[in-house]
Amino acid sequence: MNLEIILFIVLALVAVVSSVAMITRPHPVISAVFLILNFFALSGLYLLLNAQFIAVVQVIVYAGAIMVLFLFVLMLLNTNKEDNIFKQNKALKIFAIAIAVLIFAQVAFLIFFSSPSDALNSQVAESVQSGTIQQIGTKLYTDYILPFEAAGFLLLAATIGALVLSKKKFE
Amino acid sequence: MDLSFITESLYFVKPEIAASASIILLVLLDLIFHKNKTIIPYVALAGIIITGIFVVDQFNISGFAFLSTDNPKYGMIAVDNFGAFFKLIIIISSIFVVAFSAYSDEINKITDRLGEYYALIFGMILGMLVLISASDLILIYLSMELLSLSSYVLAGFTKLRDRSSEASLKYLLYGATSTGMMLFGISILYGLTGSTNLYIISAALQTQSLNLLTLAFSIILIFAGIGYKISSAPFHFWTPDVYEGAPISITAYLSVASKAAGFALLIRFIKTTFVTFVDDNGNWQLLQVFDWESLLIIISLLTMTLGNFTALWQRNLKRMLAYSSIAHAGYLMLGLLVFSNQGLIAILIYFTIYLFMNLGAFFIVMVIANKTGSEDIDDYDGLGFKSSFLGVSLAIFLVSLTGLPPTAGFIGKLYLFIALVDAKMLTVAIIALLNTVVSLYYYIRVLKHMFLTSPTEKTEKIPLNFGQIAVIIIMLIPILLFGVYFSPVVDLAKSYITILGF
Repeated sequence: MNLEIILFIVLALVAVVSSVAMITRPHPVISAVFLILNFFALSGLYLLLNAQFIAVVQVIVYAGAIMVLFLFVLMLLNTNKEDNIFKQNKALKIFAIAIAVLIFAQVAFLIFFSSPSDALNSQVAESVQSGTIQQIGTKLYTDYILPFEAAGFLLLAATIGALVLSKKKFE
Repeated sequence: MDLSFITESLYFVKPEIAASASIILLVLLDLIFHKNKTIIPYVALAGIIITGIFVVDQFNISGFAFLSTDNPKYGMIAVDNFGAFFKLIIIISSIFVVAFSAYSDEINKITDRLGEYYALIFGMILGMLVLISASDLILIYLSMELLSLSSYVLAGFTKLRDRSSEASLKYLLYGATSTGMMLFGISILYGLTGSTNLYIISAALQTQSLNLLTLAFSIILIFAGIGYKISSAPFHFWTPDVYEGAPISITAYLSVASKAAGFALLIRFIKTTFVTFVDDNGNWQLLQVFDWESLLIIISLLTMTLGNFTALWQRNLKRMLAYSSIAHAGYLMLGLLVFSNQGLIAILIYFTIYLFMNLGAFFIVMVIANKTGSEDIDDYDGLGFKSSFLGVSLAIFLVSLTGLPPTAGFIGKLYLFIALVDAKMLTVAIIALLNTVVSLYYYIRVLKHMFLTSPTEKTEKIPLNFGQIAVIIIMLIPILLFGVYFSPVVDLAKSYITILGF
């Protein structure tokens, strides 16, 4: 067994275990922390596929920004009531299970029965190449330097704006 | 790796660089002088003037900047006279807005936030400057977001009133929806043609056979984003609430500068992407992939009719001017839908005049609101007798907005209608003319309150200082002058219609 397969198995195990742990924990904050672990494991899987950019974005955007937002909402809201949703509403539970089974069946079908398209091979190699950080960085700092700078000023304006709006009323 | 093409491109974006430097300077000054911020408006004014000098410097220069390495024929930015003209409109209205803010009680109450206020105004300026000359969909999207984000915050800047916060939130929600639609349209267009550059998209549209239904779908979605910026129907619903709730200086700015940038984008988008060549008579030959003409005729007539008829019922002057600015977006679109150089000239003339008359009307409403604290039309009773200078000036601006001679507004409308008649669109011209008649009612009603109603005991004399009189006179001169002596504007407009690529 080479290192790649070992890494894959470890990361996949972490991903599966953390996602199962995430949906079974009764406390939402702990669920959220498991979700972060799941994101990290997934980004490791992306790295194995040589998709460095997606891996980095996965960590920055999902594990960083979106999860922090989730945690804020969870901590600010009173989440005790939501524990009882499934206990009170049996129909909702059945509905959730049905959706889960449906999606599982779809994914299983895709994995086991659908035939991979053979036309992809050369394009796959190309897309793997263009997913590297070096390629994206070169493009960003040559062809797309102006949009890149514009995005920088966009963030600056957003920061100033957030500052203005979040301050208490002016005296 | 050879990066000289980037440094060479900097030559073409000097105004944008000046605006960016001003933002950073203002943020720093806000930190340094956080006790006494009286210096900040002057720095902002200086920044705008320097940017303006670079814009004037750009006249008669054309070329692509920030070329793509794959296809070095085209670039991210197209510098041309058309863009320079609209940039000048942005700069002039920005100078006026700094003057407005200096005399606005709403803004003067929040002196400790002046740094953020002007930094965000520069955010808008930078966004608009880039938007006007952008020829790449990615850059168009980003600069539009920069413009929108800054204006969302500015609309709710004073926060003293609930209306201001409401305006900001409504603006944000409408804006997010329409930009989302626009992004969706851009993604479809990219999927169809494989490029985000307008010129390469145009080439692809001419050579490849595309699914026209999908193309039409993506264009309508992109139009939703632009239509929101120029507040054309059916994307105008945010306009009255935002204009009413925002500080008047920002309302005036949104109604002129933001609209100008939106129009520049719309014209550049259509001209570079869908026009194959311009014949000797100046008529644009459109690609037969999308029926722009019908779409624009419907939207233009709908916009002006909705704007004018709803304005009839308004009792708040700010709200009335908001609906009138919607109607003016409809008039401006008339110049585009004839698809000729003549129409484009009419748009440029109209914008030059619209800049002064609309800002002038808003400025006087602001001066009056500073004193009386209200924009209600009943509070204007007998104002013409108590403060005759203000009354007469407002009357001139409103008459010009209606489009009656001898004011400049008449010249603006005249050129639009001539362009329509020359393009043999008589029905459209007649409907637009009838709309002007409708608009006469609500503009003149203000005059009736000012001059024909006797003053009540509530009416007071509005004190004016020297600066305010100067600002009003600077805006009055072009309105009266261009009404009788308009050849300079027409000549100016004629020499600034070149859009790169043809």
